[in-house]
Amino acid sequence: MPSRRTPPFRACALLLLSLTATFFAGCGNDPNLKPEHEKRADGSPWQVRYSYMPDDPRSLDPQFAYDQMSRRLLEPVVDTLLEYHPFKTDPYEVMPSLLASLPERVKNPDGTETYVCKLKRGILFHNDPCFPGGKGRELTVQDVEYGWKRMVDPKVECPALSALQDYLVGFGEAYETAKKADGLDYSKPLKCFEIVDDQTFKVHLLKPYPQIIYWMAMHFMSPVAHEAVEFYDGKEHPDANGKMVLRPAFKWHPVGTGAFQLVEYEPASRARLVRNPNYHTVVFPSDGYPPDRADFLKQFAGQPVPLVDEIQVTIFREQTPIPVLFNQGYLDSMGVSKDAFNRVVTTAQELTPEYKKRGVVLEKDPDVSTFFISLNMEDPVIGSNKKLRQALSCSYDGQSYVDIFWNGVSPVAQQLMPPGIFGYDKNYQNPYSYDLDKARKLLAEAGYPGGIDSKTGRQLELNMEASANGSEERQMTEFVQKGFEQLGIKVNVVENTFAELLRKEDAGKFQILEGTGWGADYPDPENFYMLLNSRNFPPEGKNVSRYKNPEFDKLFDKMATMDNSPERLQIVNQLRDMIGEDCPQIFTFHKAFFTTINPWARRTSTNMLLEGAFKYQQVDPAMRAQLQREWNRTPKWPPFVLVLLIAGAAGYAIRLNRKRNV
Amino acid sequence: MFSYLIRRLLYAIPILFGVMLITFLLFFVVQPPYARARAILGEKARPAQVQQWLHDHGYDKPTYLNTKPGQHLFDSLFVNQMKRLITFDFGVSDKTSLPIAKTFKDGVIPSLCLTLPAFVIGFIMAVTLSLYQVFIRYSALDRFGVFFCVALMSIPPMIYMFVGQRVLAMQLNYFPAYGFDLRGWQTAKFLLLPVTLMIVMYLGNDVRLYRTIFLEEITQDYVRTALAKGVPQSRVLFVHVLKNGMISLITLVVAHLPFLIMGSLLLENFFGIPGLGNALIHAIQTGDAAMTNALVYLGALFYLAGLMLTDICYAFADPRIRLS
Repeated sequence: MPSRRTPPFRACALLLLSLTATFFAGCGNDPNLKPEHEKRADGSPWQVRYSYMPDDPRSLDPQFAYDQMSRRLLEPVVDTLLEYHPFKTDPYEVMPSLLASLPERVKNPDGTETYVCKLKRGILFHNDPCFPGGKGRELTVQDVEYGWKRMVDPKVECPALSALQDYLVGFGEAYETAKKADGLDYSKPLKCFEIVDDQTFKVHLLKPYPQIIYWMAMHFMSPVAHEAVEFYDGKEHPDANGKMVLRPAFKWHPVGTGAFQLVEYEPASRARLVRNPNYHTVVFPSDGYPPDRADFLKQFAGQPVPLVDEIQVTIFREQTPIPVLFNQGYLDSMGVSKDAFNRVVTTAQELTPEYKKRGVVLEKDPDVSTFFISLNMEDPVIGSNKKLRQALSCSYDGQSYVDIFWNGVSPVAQQLMPPGIFGYDKNYQNPYSYDLDKARKLLAEAGYPGGIDSKTGRQLELNMEASANGSEERQMTEFVQKGFEQLGIKVNVVENTFAELLRKEDAGKFQILEGTGWGADYPDPENFYMLLNSRNFPPEGKNVSRYKNPEFDKLFDKMATMDNSPERLQIVNQLRDMIGEDCPQIFTFHKAFFTTINPWARRTSTNMLLEGAFKYQQVDPAMRAQLQREWNRTPKWPPFVLVLLIAGAAGYAIRLNRKRNV
Repeated sequence: MFSYLIRRLLYAIPILFGVMLITFLLFFVVQPPYARARAILGEKARPAQVQQWLHDHGYDKPTYLNTKPGQHLFDSLFVNQMKRLITFDFGVSDKTSLPIAKTFKDGVIPSLCLTLPAFVIGFIMAVTLSLYQVFIRYSALDRFGVFFCVALMSIPPMIYMFVGQRVLAMQLNYFPAYGFDLRGWQTAKFLLLPVTLMIVMYLGNDVRLYRTIFLEEITQDYVRTALAKGVPQSRVLFVHVLKNGMISLITLVVAHLPFLIMGSLLLENFFGIPGLGNALIHAIQTGDAAMTNALVYLGALFYLAGLMLTDICYAFADPRIRLS
């Protein structure tokens, strides 16, 4: 007898249909969080910028953080004593931030120097539970001193210590004493830091060091509230109701005086920064605008910053979604990766018509860095033969390298210093840049005509160390190898793990080391030429080539402590020429990249030494909302097709069931 | 059964030790902690900073035995690492210095948000579709279904993710292409696409397998008897066949349960879900030995737990099985 009960397939089909309906329920494709507020206190719209970074920060402790990701989140949260001007990049300039003016430099008769610094009044720390009543208190000179003491605390291990201990009075000594005592005594004053009054302090230097102002623009010298360090200890404490609550460690909960407060940080996911209502430290600059955007920037001159209320930073460990979200309008800007390059940029290095039509703007961002191949000056074959090094340098085709591997965006390096640094001459041509005929001639003069050792009659064999990082790095190494081998020599590529490469670098056990580079800590020739100072051998320093030239060292020491002047320029040029002649390094390129900006988020800062310059960023939310709607229309037909398919399959089964049961 | 379980637990000890040994050799011998410290602290780190980091993480000890005068013989990297894992005191991440226990706690929920719905819905769908195929067995639609399942099985997971993101999130704009938020309904929005893709990835394989199991059942005498007695086809399938087929299904399915906690390496990474799979893949990529060790160890534990659960379920589901 046939059953009259509802076939279970019908129930299953209903389940599938309801799942389909949920699937296409129009949940929206906006991945960004709901903003903290809809409107500002004055009723105007709450403005949000959507940014990203490719990895998590290593630490948000201002005295420890050194990597780019950490600095990106610290910069908007923790103010520095001075800061880089967002537009003045040739040469780079610093301007007051927490200080009321640039420090007053006093030259003492004994050759030492003192910098007199005056803090602005009325600067408040972020409102935070570490302060009584949760209200941020006023910044004092003692907070600056506390931050500086943390630099010599062995438990903090500040990366700036080694550079600063040569110049700041008693700095290294304080660190050594603290290390011996197994901890820093914070009650003892620092010899280099003298408190004059509640607003003024003096910094004592052993010798002239004009670069100190650049250090004041870094977070290492930022003030820290001792309450924050003591409160955020990473341990459990009872809350108001007696419940044990885990407080984050200070390095994950920075409390600063910056334009934004870090209200949320989820590793591997996102960070959210919200406007600091107490902030009035700086305003939008009124000068230094690049001529091509001066008209646009004028409107912000003198306005209080931050211009926007919230910054949402997504952490993308996987790069594929970045162009997707940028194209949908859910990211305000995007660095053009190599994979996406051809879709975004034409061979003429302009935007493709598709992006132009959308109103996207293409910006070229020159990084303050130089990459080079290191030649070991202690190697018996390469180190003692200048002509051989010169020949190798002449055989390296920098332009082809940049065209192939960096889409022609990065400029070929002719010298160690990148553009924007005092003494950089864009017309300078390295005497041993790519010239194959010259390379062959030099090789013959070096004792290896046609790559054959004239003494032994055997082909010259050199070893080149490279990192085993993947196919692209391998191709780059092969390019360099083939360049050298055009001269008739044989180059054996040795692929190393990171650990092996470090071991060889530290011990100086290599002939040629491919793929080394340096990014500026601060924009001064001293920060680059110290890479070839003989006191700077690895592992303590970064003179990977182990270049030792007493004349160079003497000139470097003189240049390092000088102010920018024609005399200093002359010495910088001498150093450059010396390196150019000795060829301890073969310069490859200065890193640069393209960034695309959506039309509502025109750029308001051009300084690459600033990490994001969030407080100067602006946005046109109305334009964004309109274009987002336009760019994210959803077709209606796919759900119907799917529903029809499911319904058809269910109908077929029901019919079959009825037929079989009749 | 009790003695069987005890025996299985004892077997687990050498397996876990083997896992711990291999991860130790990979992360502490092949790549010594010094190199890791340099990689993590960056090019510009000072030697003193590297030493402090090694000290803070307990990596400044001899590798196997501590023969330094005045030191405890077993105060070594190897012994300390083993101790940490056995006592579940995982310490902090090498990369971020965040407590690993916290990473684990924070990562479990997002991982389960992805894997649990995918597992449950996927299972229901696979059972339904396989029963449907058994119902329409040997028809053109069934043959097409089999072909379709083989096609689904043949496509690599990365293609599903890439095409899914490209078509559903980028071209059709139905879902967010990336991201996660564990607040209310927002969570569903971020999970729909990855959960769907996870279901589709395994659907072909599961439907094929379940169809075979159910087809085997449908030829049994009890099915013929039921049909002869006039029980409708659909009822035979959904009540009799499903119930008996479940014995085989449960043993297959239960083994996967502990793995749900560990999340999905590829999907979590691709869609930015901050689960344990994402944490593990990132730990491997960045050479975070502490995190990798802990997660691999937990993975091994869950794997062994899955095997034991399967045995137990088998005994419960099928009275003919006796564990001894």
